[in-house]
Amino acid sequence: MSYAYLFKYIIIGDTGVGKSCLLLQFTDKRFQPVHDLTIGVEFGARMITIDGKQIKLQIWDTAGQEAFRSITRSYYRGAAGALLVYDITRRETFNHLTTWLEDARQHSNSNMVIMLIGNKSDLESRREVKKEEGEAFAREHGLVFMETSAKTAANVEEAFINTAKEIYEKIQEGVFDINNEANGIKIGPQHSPTNPSLPGAGGQGSSQGGSCC
Amino acid sequence: MFRSRSWFGGGWGRPKNPHSIEHLKYLYNVLSRNHTVSEHNRGLLVETLRSIAEILIWGDQNDSSVFDFFLEKNMLSFFLRIMRQRSGGSNFVCVQLLQTLNILFENIRNETSLYYLLSNNHVNSIIVHKFDFSDEEVMAYYISFLKTLSLKLNAHTIHFFYNEHTNDFPLYTEAIKFFNHPESMVRIAVRTLTLNVYKVEDSSMLTFIRDRTAAPYFSNIVWFIGKHVQELDNCVRNDADHQSQNRLADLVAEHLDHLHYLNDILLLNITDLNQVLADHLLNKLLIPLYIYSLTSLRHHGTPENLAKVLNHNLGLGETPPSTFAGTTTLLETNSGKVSCIVAFFLLSQVFLIISYQPVVRTLAWIILKTDKRTYQEGIDKLLENYENYKKAIDEGNTNSQIEIASNASSAGSKENLVEEEQKNITDEEKEKLATTPIETNVTDKPFLEIVYNALDCTDNDYAVLFALCLLYAIANNKGVTSDLLELVLRPKKVLISKRCTSSPSQTAKDIKYSYNTYLVEKLLHIVVLACQPSCRIRLVTLELALKLIIQLVMCDGKNVMNEAHKVSLEAARSQSTALLRNFYKSEEIFLDMFEHEYCDMSKGPLNVEWLCMDSAILLPPTGTPMTGIDFIKRLPCGEVERARRAIRVFFLVRDTVLTLNGEMETDLPLTNPQSCVQIDTALDLSIARYNSDLIACTVVGKDGQKIRRFLVIDIMQLILVEPDPKKLGWGVAKLVGFLQDIEVTGDKDDSRCLHITIYRPLSNSSANRVPLLSAKFVFDDNIRCMAAKQRLTKGRIKARQKKMQHIARLLDIPGQTGPPSPAYVGAGHHQCRGSGSRLLFHAGRLPGFVTRRDNGPGIAHRADDTIRPRSPSRHTGAIKKDEKTKKEAQSRSREPSANRNRSREGSPRMPRPRSEEIPLELIKKSRNAEVEVASKITIVSRPQTPKTEGGDVASSTLSSLQTHSSEETSFIAQNDAARTSTSSSSKNKGFIETI
Repeated sequence: MSYAYLFKYIIIGDTGVGKSCLLLQFTDKRFQPVHDLTIGVEFGARMITIDGKQIKLQIWDTAGQEAFRSITRSYYRGAAGALLVYDITRRETFNHLTTWLEDARQHSNSNMVIMLIGNKSDLESRREVKKEEGEAFAREHGLVFMETSAKTAANVEEAFINTAKEIYEKIQEGVFDINNEANGIKIGPQHSPTNPSLPGAGGQGSSQGGSCC
Repeated sequence: MFRSRSWFGGGWGRPKNPHSIEHLKYLYNVLSRNHTVSEHNRGLLVETLRSIAEILIWGDQNDSSVFDFFLEKNMLSFFLRIMRQRSGGSNFVCVQLLQTLNILFENIRNETSLYYLLSNNHVNSIIVHKFDFSDEEVMAYYISFLKTLSLKLNAHTIHFFYNEHTNDFPLYTEAIKFFNHPESMVRIAVRTLTLNVYKVEDSSMLTFIRDRTAAPYFSNIVWFIGKHVQELDNCVRNDADHQSQNRLADLVAEHLDHLHYLNDILLLNITDLNQVLADHLLNKLLIPLYIYSLTSLRHHGTPENLAKVLNHNLGLGETPPSTFAGTTTLLETNSGKVSCIVAFFLLSQVFLIISYQPVVRTLAWIILKTDKRTYQEGIDKLLENYENYKKAIDEGNTNSQIEIASNASSAGSKENLVEEEQKNITDEEKEKLATTPIETNVTDKPFLEIVYNALDCTDNDYAVLFALCLLYAIANNKGVTSDLLELVLRPKKVLISKRCTSSPSQTAKDIKYSYNTYLVEKLLHIVVLACQPSCRIRLVTLELALKLIIQLVMCDGKNVMNEAHKVSLEAARSQSTALLRNFYKSEEIFLDMFEHEYCDMSKGPLNVEWLCMDSAILLPPTGTPMTGIDFIKRLPCGEVERARRAIRVFFLVRDTVLTLNGEMETDLPLTNPQSCVQIDTALDLSIARYNSDLIACTVVGKDGQKIRRFLVIDIMQLILVEPDPKKLGWGVAKLVGFLQDIEVTGDKDDSRCLHITIYRPLSNSSANRVPLLSAKFVFDDNIRCMAAKQRLTKGRIKARQKKMQHIARLLDIPGQTGPPSPAYVGAGHHQCRGSGSRLLFHAGRLPGFVTRRDNGPGIAHRADDTIRPRSPSRHTGAIKKDEKTKKEAQSRSREPSANRNRSREGSPRMPRPRSEEIPLELIKKSRNAEVEVASKITIVSRPQTPKTEGGDVASSTLSSLQTHSSEETSFIAQNDAARTSTSSSSKNKGFIETI
């Protein structure tokens, strides 16, 4: 298993905004959501390529653990990136963003890259939160913003990869202390730069994880 | 690699519909034909497993026969069989298998389906399967699988995992093996799982946990925390120069994680578990390591046997039970103690986070009540002693309750009278009363003595801050009972029957308040020191000391402080005022700093819990901002920061004094937001206040957009008004900025143009101020333009002067408030004041001056709002008048100020509640304030180039103020220079920034 870096992500946001579906959609595209079947998962990993380097993304969903303070605290701290998700068809999930963001900022390391995701963009007819509002919120708080659909897979790939790119840039700038694994970044075990069996970034049907063994 | 997404790709008679029982049957066939995993079929197997997950979830929601088939064919056994093969690429298949299981358990909604999956014990076989955990991918998916299962636990499903008959609970026992895994996400998953397990209320399961696993699991956690704390201590010891802040921050965060985890367990309130956990925590970590490490501050050596006791209790040298994975490194042999600083810090965290009474109460008792004898006998005695105390309390409780009840009933309505009575006792008596119990205690209580000694800040405040944190944390912990805190960290209230006291005539009960005078003295000493120039006490230390003082002496909303202490606090206050007076100066930056610091402070009081999360305070106090440490958590660096510090000290002490006196802050902030014109407010332009300064202009934005507006220059604000289409003579405020925040420059090429930048009011981010508006203003002609420029420049100076005078009043700078303090009388600086004093009398005779202060800046419009325009032609009239004014610009003198005064006179509103102030003083103040403005206006209005004029006036007036105040030589020198050059135009500090 070879990679240059491993980035740990967390996904946060209200319940029911489609966090685990986004995660599954990204890590295992073969689960096609076309059959009216919502399937999600709490953990997944996938390899992507940035700047010619293999980067492994590990995504941990924190759902169902909010009751314990010790758990949320640790999760935030151990991540290099966070996807903050709301549901564009439910205004209240958007209203709760501030609370989530405060939590994230309080517990995470200051370099954590946070991407704001307005999910369920396929449900245009039931939209309650305008795209501009999401953009404004992101601008105000210095986040990257994107609307996605776990159902049609629109922008899902981009959301995860753009976040990774930003983390990667921060590493290049020397902002992240990569020798400190507590930041959610790990340097790969002696990685060979060219491994033909590795699937390309965003390759359709690449299996999660072990596809390159 | 393998065929993907080929649902409809046919081949092998694959059914067309992937979501059907037929498809599952087909997949079953695939599995049964591929018993052995090989290079060739592993792709197919992975795909098959994935499809099975999908069909099962579909079946769960749509077709129950799917699950029937799955069970009937015992398909989970295939999973096991695949797992158990150790062939090439098995990890690859295992990962998919685990993910398939994750997806299954995560998405199944039907209880029955869940039971189906869990029956047969296959899941437990999967849990105990020895995967290749060296593969981080397998590890991550495995632990996620366990965590997912734990989220499905409830009173019913627990029986699938915990087998009462075999006394077996693989889900839990397998998981806790990874509790110290190097990968943080794995550790978090284990913690989540354990909490999810404890949460299930199943008594036999919990008994199993307690009897079979609690002791080893908890002792391991405690052992690792101890080891971790040693690491943290090493880091602090070896990093005096702030080199490895990241590492230290991690270690501190990790310790907090541990404490929060333990607290989360304790909060579940499972009696059996909590007992075991509390026992381990107290006996193996908190008492021997944390509390006894405090003694390293004691100079007279610690008892010989202590180290032994410690080593024994900490279990140093013992390896943790080998059943736990990931425990390779051993603790280095060490004296077994950490530095006192670290111990203080850690104990503060304990008291801030853990609220479980048996733990925190014991700890608090040990720290506050242990006497020398017990201390020397060692740890075992400490607890024994505490047990005795607890018993005594429990027995005594019934008695004292009765006593209190009888006291309460007899006290009755006479309490008020009694309080009055209390004042008759002399201060000495009170002090004696309060001190006696403490004085005897201090020397006899070794731990408390250590804490008190740490409050000594002769060299610096390194340890002081931690001692304060600890005291604060103990005092504010909910689990610490009030009987422990009374007289130590809280005031004590005693009902004494009058018969026992000196005046036998009274039969009522007397309320006696007493408090820890010894500690308050120590704290006051810190405060007094912090108000000295160039002291080495950080702002955070001062703030915390003040916070603690309030808690120590406030009882029933009253300040029970004795006179001596009140005097020293008052002394601290005047000292802090004097300290700030040194920095009071004409430079624009002072006002900006003053307001910025106030804004920063009003963000909220110090949060001690957050403070104790910051690893930066663990390192010796530093002055350099390069460390990235917050300003309040380090010493000031350079003149500007020293001024900032002085401002903060002033605010902090002032606030404390006000709180203790039960008074409200009425003088701060300098800008009363309620008295300001807001955007979209309708203004009656016909009233003199606004119309006198009405100038028509066109605002050209950066994008070339042109808007026609009227410029109104109010007392504190610049207002851009659009005529109200509905009400003639009225205008709507479209943009509002503070005059103090504007920058005006002329245009080289166009004499009708001004470039005006209005900055936003100072906010929390001091870095770079964003302009509210930066635009070119085009006026009708150059005369109007000039008039506008003059007024804006003047307005800016006046607005700033007003605020500076306000500050001067706050700082008791003579000439600003009624009687000057004796220290300033005859200081030989009254030459400049001469004309001012004379003017005071003139001003006093002018109508409207007395009411001036009552109608503070910007208030008038509110009252005006209610008065509707009387004449429809007012609006145009106003503008016409404005034009006329502009023509007179050259010869204008006192007119505008007179206009303003008249307008203000018309509005009866009070700006702020100042009812508690003495009216006479108020009048005096207001006269003075007016005089300042009036005198300036007289000078400014001389018809010359407004540029130098304005600047000159600003600096001269302010420097004249300064001469009264300055004590520091550097400023005096500056002022002298300023004074000598008042008539020349060489010094125009305030002005330069205006242009």
